[in-house]
Amino acid sequence: MRNIRFNSMRNEGVESLASVDRRQFMKFGLAITGVFLGGSVLSITSAANAYGAPFNEPVRPAQFPYSPHYTMVIQQNNCIDCELCLEACRNINGVPIYGSRTSILELSIPSAQGQQARSFMPILCNQCNEPHCVRVCPTGATYKETSNGIVLMNQQKCIGCKTCMAACPYNARYFKEEDRAIDKCNFCFDTKLKTSGGKATACSAACPAKVRVFGDLTDPNTPAYKLIHTPGNEFWVLRPEAGTLPNIFYMNKAEADA
Amino acid sequence: MNIYTKTTNLPLPSMNQILVFIVLALICGIGLSFGLHTMIVGHHHTFGTTREVPWGLLITPYVFFACLATGLCIISTLGQVFGLTTFKPLVTRTVFLAIVAMAAGLMCITLELESPWRVVFYAWFSPQPFSNIWWKTAIYSCSLVLMICNFMMLLTRRHKAAKGFALVAFLLLTAGNLNMNSDMGLLGERGFWSDNYMPIYFLSLSIMTGCAAILLLNWLAYKFNNDSSNAEHDRAYHATAKLFLVLLLGLAYFSIVKIMGGYFPRFAKNPEAMALLVKGDFALNFWIGEICLTVLLPITLYFLAKGKKLAVLALAGLSCLIGTFVLYYDLVIVGQLVPHFHQYHVVDLPQYYAYTPSLHEIMISVGSIFFFLTAFIFGEMLFKKIFAN
Repeated sequence: MRNIRFNSMRNEGVESLASVDRRQFMKFGLAITGVFLGGSVLSITSAANAYGAPFNEPVRPAQFPYSPHYTMVIQQNNCIDCELCLEACRNINGVPIYGSRTSILELSIPSAQGQQARSFMPILCNQCNEPHCVRVCPTGATYKETSNGIVLMNQQKCIGCKTCMAACPYNARYFKEEDRAIDKCNFCFDTKLKTSGGKATACSAACPAKVRVFGDLTDPNTPAYKLIHTPGNEFWVLRPEAGTLPNIFYMNKAEADA
Repeated sequence: MNIYTKTTNLPLPSMNQILVFIVLALICGIGLSFGLHTMIVGHHHTFGTTREVPWGLLITPYVFFACLATGLCIISTLGQVFGLTTFKPLVTRTVFLAIVAMAAGLMCITLELESPWRVVFYAWFSPQPFSNIWWKTAIYSCSLVLMICNFMMLLTRRHKAAKGFALVAFLLLTAGNLNMNSDMGLLGERGFWSDNYMPIYFLSLSIMTGCAAILLLNWLAYKFNNDSSNAEHDRAYHATAKLFLVLLLGLAYFSIVKIMGGYFPRFAKNPEAMALLVKGDFALNFWIGEICLTVLLPITLYFLAKGKKLAVLALAGLSCLIGTFVLYYDLVIVGQLVPHFHQYHVVDLPQYYAYTPSLHEIMISVGSIFFFLTAFIFGEMLFKKIFAN
């Protein structure tokens, strides 16, 4: 029998897998480890009696470092690129025309049948639990808010070295000339989030297709919490290899519900 | 007072020397005026950097001069701290050059910042101890002060105190240099930096550029002062040239590793960036700058000079310094050019981001290089007798 040396095999990543295979892979990964590709699913798996497959060990109950712990679920296949979210973000947060706090990427993914599957992928700051931008900032101008986990900016302290821009794996930052400082998505911390009582951001409120579902991981009544805890829903995070533990989760809504 | 007496006893510079100084200072001033303009109107209007490529050309002279200062400081400690008598004749000029190089580097990074005036307050009162950038800037600023103290002690012949300052500066700068890898390696999880620019590589490069600068600038100093070296100085240059050769051979090994990363993706964590460097748009920079000018030509010239002829060794030094500048440029830029979401099948996403330095960036870089040269000439005019002894 031929010996297979698993240790020497190269990880090809999930990007090259066909979508069907990828879904199966995700289920497999979730079932076995309870952790999906570096984005900790432990934080979205609160079922205390869930069991990991290989060792029959109970998965630990959810541990939330923040309360509220704001998150956003992106129902990617609902997005039609209407850009109302971008417009709302600009208007409410005073984002200049040359910059953006959020964007929408158009994807063309090779499908298993040799065809291209088109979809739109909204991008914003992932409010990471291990944010590289915070780690590299020399003056603490960007920081993780201890009460709710949002990565915020203190523009007064920003020296404009742009190291945070270079460090962000999600290209989620830009330099705002008017403030002579970096600007980024802060879940509308000082605007819409405040006026809505912590219920919505500008983009989530403006989205007609319920692509951007905002919520609190510690509050079972928020839509995001419900989506995350719906059995059968599969999630992924962007660039898990960066090890940033994002708080933006992506999913595709089942076709029957979409 | 002692320094004043010593410097005022020195012979006055000739008119030609003053003319050279004025020309260099003028070019420096023109370059730095572009920096002032940028500071007023903002990078948005004057720099070629973008959201995707936020670090541009100006990081290159900063890294270059900071590493050069580190290398010069390390070589100066060989004579004044570690007691290698062969290197002792080089100490005073080398410490002076290290000060000037560090000043040029810090000036360049100051002009690279969008809001440098905030550094003065917030670097002191809101430090972020986990930031490599903060540590690096703090270390380099402290070491600049220490090297100035070291130089003053050397001028006043207080060698014991000078040795103390030199030792602390050496330890700080070595730490700062090793920090460079973590600083770059963390950025954007771009394997290019953490994979290929390990701490020992940075340290070797720094000492190598230090050797190159000593060989070039001492020869220039002799030409400028219409002077010639003595036997002790000659021995010091030959020793420096030997160290230079050893480090060049070490760098040749690192270059081979890079070439393998470019042609065989399994050797690199970020094969797209390595391919861009070795066989893509940056191939000319890599093969001409990093391989020919940095490694091959200096090694060839060393053997042609048989390690002895100062003029040829100076040419080897110049070639190496130009090549290393290109190497640092590649280091800063190539790592940023692989798109963030290149694995996500994004429509219309370029294979690589683009970056071209603007006129302002080029002129500020020229300004910082000429600042270094102006200060070097100024030092020769003021301290040439002390350097010679």
